[in-house]
Amino acid sequence: MINTLKMSLKIDLTYQINAFLSLLKRLPILRDLFTDDIWKSKNIKKVARIFVMIYLVLKKIIYRFLYFLVIYVLSFFLTKENLSGTFCYIYFIFTLIGMWIHNQLLDPTLKKYFSILLFQMDAKKYSRSYLLWNLFTSFLFNSLCFFTFSFFLSISPLVIVCLILFSSFARIIGETLNILYYKKYHTFWYHNNFLYFSVLGFLLVLLFLPVIGILPSSSFFFGVMIVFFILSFICLSYLIKMNDFLLLYKTANTKKMAMNMQQQKAYSKQALVEMKTKDQMIHNKKLKGKKGYDLFNTIFMERHKEILFRSAKNYACILGIIYIILIFLIKSNENLSLTIHSFLSSHLGCFVLIMYFINRGAIITQAMFFNCDHAMLAYNFYKEPDVLLGLFKKRLQSICIINLLPAFVIALGNTVLLWLTGSVAIPIYITTFLFILVLSIFFSVHYLVIYYLLQPYNQELDMKKISYSFVLFLTYFFTYFLSNVEMSSFAFSIFGLFFTIIYIIVALILIKTKAKDTFHLN
Amino acid sequence: MKLKINGLDKSYGEHEVLKKINFTFEDGKIYGLLGRNGAGKTTLFNCLNEDIEMNAGEVILEENGIEKELTSSDIGYVTATPMVPEFLTAREFLSFFLEIHKTKINSLKSIEEYFEIVKISPSDQDKLLKDYSHGMKNKMQILINMIMNPKVILLDEPLTSLDIVVQEEMKKLLKEMKKDHIIIFSTHILELAMDLCDSIVILNKKQLHEIEKKNLNTQKYKDEIIHSLRDENYD
Repeated sequence: MINTLKMSLKIDLTYQINAFLSLLKRLPILRDLFTDDIWKSKNIKKVARIFVMIYLVLKKIIYRFLYFLVIYVLSFFLTKENLSGTFCYIYFIFTLIGMWIHNQLLDPTLKKYFSILLFQMDAKKYSRSYLLWNLFTSFLFNSLCFFTFSFFLSISPLVIVCLILFSSFARIIGETLNILYYKKYHTFWYHNNFLYFSVLGFLLVLLFLPVIGILPSSSFFFGVMIVFFILSFICLSYLIKMNDFLLLYKTANTKKMAMNMQQQKAYSKQALVEMKTKDQMIHNKKLKGKKGYDLFNTIFMERHKEILFRSAKNYACILGIIYIILIFLIKSNENLSLTIHSFLSSHLGCFVLIMYFINRGAIITQAMFFNCDHAMLAYNFYKEPDVLLGLFKKRLQSICIINLLPAFVIALGNTVLLWLTGSVAIPIYITTFLFILVLSIFFSVHYLVIYYLLQPYNQELDMKKISYSFVLFLTYFFTYFLSNVEMSSFAFSIFGLFFTIIYIIVALILIKTKAKDTFHLN
Repeated sequence: MKLKINGLDKSYGEHEVLKKINFTFEDGKIYGLLGRNGAGKTTLFNCLNEDIEMNAGEVILEENGIEKELTSSDIGYVTATPMVPEFLTAREFLSFFLEIHKTKINSLKSIEEYFEIVKISPSDQDKLLKDYSHGMKNKMQILINMIMNPKVILLDEPLTSLDIVVQEEMKKLLKEMKKDHIIIFSTHILELAMDLCDSIVILNKKQLHEIEKKNLNTQKYKDEIIHSLRDENYD
């Protein structure tokens, strides 16, 4: 098992080193310095190995510290009376959430696909070593973070040990339950939306118990730790005896699924942008009276309704729940009410960043490319300026509609909160509402424009253009800058409205004149 | 050595692809598996390789009179679309693979010797696999599967993307390997099947059936195969 672990870490590290060097090779000046000989240069690889190892360890530590920081800040917001107790409680609930949403053993990843199916490693040994490594690293980083945060909190060492061990036990139980679920239903539980979101919602509700003064004592954590210890022992013995890991990996880690997870795990790959079976049938009335590229776009949108609307609907639901919780909270908390009112009146810029993050433009353009454009771009008629512009306009309408769904919830939520927390002039309500919708339209246009002007994907949905990533970075930078600007909501809304109108006009001109040269296969 | 398929059924939802297949493959022969598009050749391979679950049936490997259930460790499966770890160089891929399996490989060769088998030149050995062409990736895939010397070799359209020199090398290699391997070779190219294979197996109407070997290169035999592949639903 140790040899398997060593080997898989070695392969993984080599893979990361090569990916790092490959990235360097694409940068403007280094591109000329690095020839193809770097792949066999041992010295360059040794240096790169040091950088990559430092990067990987730092990344893990920073992520874990950020995780603890979020818990600390959340504890601070939820209660000011028993900060340490709340911190432990939130850590406890977060661990349960992590146990529910992370399934490391079976989750399809390229790393597993390579290790088990291409390198033909012993699946049982691989999965045991993989689990062991994850438990070890999380134990290590959790201990480090708890040690650091213990300077700001007063938590007894015994409770800290309990919570650290609890994380390991929860991970073992979560992995086993996930395997049992997969064996029974041949799918992951996160594909069962009802089950997944019900449990997640329940855990999120539990998270807010400190607000109404409910906080478990230390003995509660000890008790739960003992129960989880017994359960994890049973689960571990099940995992050790289990012999059908290979079969499970083969069905759960198909090539396609592994490919989907290759880079931007969250949303970028094929499984998430492929047409779903239930969308294959289109009701005739949806197509009635449509022709040409309007018909073409409608068929595309209808056939991909599930993937295009799925995350927009999820965001809308989650945001709706958050606003409802906030509405209840401001009734009983005067300070919170004042803070929200002042925030909505003078910090509307923050919503630029929020709208940037929730915009579905990236996944929609990926779906367009994967399911349509990568095939259609092989035909010259598809690259005619008029065709491109016509389809762009139709697509823009569709993207805007999808993104307006969560945007509408935010716009309505903000307006209602503004009204409940203190009255303002009617034009401010209107502009606050419109501003969010305008932002949504702006980002929809933006994603579609950069897709047409920079078309970054190859047929496997790999990002092939660094310029696209650069533009996305600039967009983030710009939105982050705007989110820190203090300006009255009214002025911000008017500015946003004019900016978006100008942007749309420029975008249409650029698509008409430039897209014929830029919108092509890589 | 025999590979016995007993009562294999496979459906996707209500669409039945393979129905009660009973067939025995033997070593010493290269079987050419022919079938029309969508006939279920890849599905059959995926079932044998345990990539997908069968609805019913069993696959048995009989060796020296001893029968055991076929497992994927007995199989080398060369897929039509080669999958390689793209951010490794060919040398790294091969050396990691050899390091993992060194105790299981009979007559371990050097990395250079392995590259020579599939004619990967020294200048390409240290290139990232992501920069390899389809054919080159295929060579690596074939090589990796050959090294493990599995008892059953499934080849799904493997030679079409290779250059003609390597094609001939691979044909020669497969012919050498057939005496103690069961080799099933799926292809759409009838001439290739007739040239390389000792027996033609047709997958049609969800069933496998062997076309008796006569003089493999006659037009009459070719016509017989095409006739067997015809389906009244198409024609």
